[in-house]
Amino acid sequence: MKQLMKHRMMKTAALVILGVAMAGGSAVAADKWDGGDDLPTSPLACDAGPAAAAAAKPYDGGQTTGAPDKAGKPITLVDVPKLIGIGYFNATSKGMQDAAKEIGNVKVTTDGPTEAKIDEQIKFIDNYITRGVDGILFAANDPVAIAPVLKKALSKGIDVVGYDANSQPDARQWFINQAQFNGIAKAMVDAMAKEAGEDKGFAIVTSTFTTPNQARWIAEMSAYAAKCHPKLKWLETVEAQEDNVLSFNQATTLINKYGDKLSGLFGMTSVATPASAEAVTKAGQCGKLAVVGLATPNAMKPYVNAGCVKSVVLWNPVDLGYAATYVIRAVVDGKLKPGATSVEAGKLGKLNVVNGSEILLGSPFIFTKDNIKDFDF
Amino acid sequence: MRMAVLAPEVRSAAPRWLIRHETLLAAILVVALAILGLFNERFLTIDNLLNQGRLMTEVGLLALPMTFIIITGGIDLSVGSIVGLCAIMLGYSWKNLGFPLPLAIAFAIGVGGVAGFVNGLLITRVRVPPLIMTIATLALYRGLAEGISQARSVRNYPEWFFFTGQGEWLGVPVQLWILLVGIIMAGIALDRTTFGRTLYAIGNNETAARFSGLPVDRVKLVVYTLSGLAAGLSAWVLVSRVTTTRSDMGSGYELDVIAAVVLGGTSIFGGVGTIWGTVVGLVMIQLLKNGLALTGVKGDATIIVIGAVLIASTLIASSLHGRREVAG
Repeated sequence: MKQLMKHRMMKTAALVILGVAMAGGSAVAADKWDGGDDLPTSPLACDAGPAAAAAAKPYDGGQTTGAPDKAGKPITLVDVPKLIGIGYFNATSKGMQDAAKEIGNVKVTTDGPTEAKIDEQIKFIDNYITRGVDGILFAANDPVAIAPVLKKALSKGIDVVGYDANSQPDARQWFINQAQFNGIAKAMVDAMAKEAGEDKGFAIVTSTFTTPNQARWIAEMSAYAAKCHPKLKWLETVEAQEDNVLSFNQATTLINKYGDKLSGLFGMTSVATPASAEAVTKAGQCGKLAVVGLATPNAMKPYVNAGCVKSVVLWNPVDLGYAATYVIRAVVDGKLKPGATSVEAGKLGKLNVVNGSEILLGSPFIFTKDNIKDFDF
Repeated sequence: MRMAVLAPEVRSAAPRWLIRHETLLAAILVVALAILGLFNERFLTIDNLLNQGRLMTEVGLLALPMTFIIITGGIDLSVGSIVGLCAIMLGYSWKNLGFPLPLAIAFAIGVGGVAGFVNGLLITRVRVPPLIMTIATLALYRGLAEGISQARSVRNYPEWFFFTGQGEWLGVPVQLWILLVGIIMAGIALDRTTFGRTLYAIGNNETAARFSGLPVDRVKLVVYTLSGLAAGLSAWVLVSRVTTTRSDMGSGYELDVIAAVVLGGTSIFGGVGTIWGTVVGLVMIQLLKNGLALTGVKGDATIIVIGAVLIASTLIASSLHGRREVAG
């Protein structure tokens, strides 16, 4: 009995500790929108004109040590995306194959985990370093956790270029930025203000509060809205992993919870956006409730064609993979060195270097009823 | 005990260590490694093997107490979730509660112990079947990890913290030393102590063990708590290796762990199993995955091969078992 009491006390103590811990967690309050990160923001100008050129930043990427000179010689690359078997990374992979075919002396293989898990991804990269490749292309599941293994690759003379999701800058040489965060933020918020109304309320459906890209976009959207659409009312940000059913449920909950106060929904992932559109359709709010979000065209075609969604914001993932392959070839050939301001990328022409060691793919692309039929991914 | 029923003819036909599952498995392992080594000269290098040892440690630490648990006829499906919970508690207590880092590490391991203890307590006192109990805590502990962390990851640990997960001592990865010590301790405990004999007794016939006056419940409580403590240790090594804390850490580990233990010849019905077998099973899965990857087999195909190996080795084991039954 005495022992049982002791067990009880230990359990109670554990629960108290957990309780304190959870209370501490929810006390992190801020006036910026939930789900954004704490990094500084740089909202673009409100009018449509081009943004003022940001102050040039010195190269902050990493360097290989003892890389063999393979300029003009055949190279073998491996592409390790966040996960394999989904439409988005099939599209980037297709872009890489297209580029490899065009260039001729490049061979790319895509291999990676079947779930977006960082420790699995690290093992894949580690094995390819041991096996010996000339270059690694990656889309990080976690920017910090992936850094040690990428640095190991650099130290063995393997060129490392990221795309889609960045690592710490010094763990890779270059990163292909699919669209600048403030560019996406501007496109999203402008579309929302136009479709829902300047002084209306809206909510956000995201993956998790720490997913790097989503957190950055939300922080930039918050800053841009404060600057250019100050009357827009942010109601809530909800997490929905990247789960279809959960996204639909979260969106439906928002619609029921806020009723008329809610005039728009932002979908921050390619899962959350179609699920939000579906929730709006099911609620019979098509046309009354605007849905603006990031998504792939195929998933959005039914809603765009039905007039339920007017703008889908994204970039072209095929071009993203294509550019990554051209960039790593340019690095091997010595055509892209630290301090360069642009790089030639085949049919995409000249791409600009931004933020020290990032290569910008271009302005975000907005899919509408008129152009969405031209895309198939 | 089982060996005692072997008929004399069988014993004289082949030395008994030769037909043991673990020996056979070790032989298969050596052959597989030799073949993979022929295909790729980078596979059987000290560098690669030590690196694989590094990657294997987190699952390995969990496999030792899991062997104990499965020998008693139980199972612990919550280990992966406890790893996640401990990782989060480590990061959270350091970053948000302001614990000094060494204390945070100890605290995290302690949380693992409590989590395992709760499993054991309900299994022994309330008589919830281990499968049901640990499926429930699989969800519960993962949920706690996600709730406490608010899906925020903790980073920026000081440099010294990475020693456990990324450093070396005498040329061997630090965590591999921890695993080696764990293996030796677990091996001795299982083979040379009354505690170890009690585990087999419980697995063979729990009622008989009870009537023999063995402290069945207390021993079970100990093994589930050990499992939680090992998960805490594993979380520490994992966070130190990948330099960041996330609530999805360790998800799916339970299956890797159980696969290694069962492949190593521990019977899922209890009463049979060795630490040595578990180690062979563990090494086999890790090196097969690595060897196949280095030989150019892609990730999805590797999983298929691992599954096939599991089935094949189970078939070999059960056919051996059949021969013993006939002989007995």
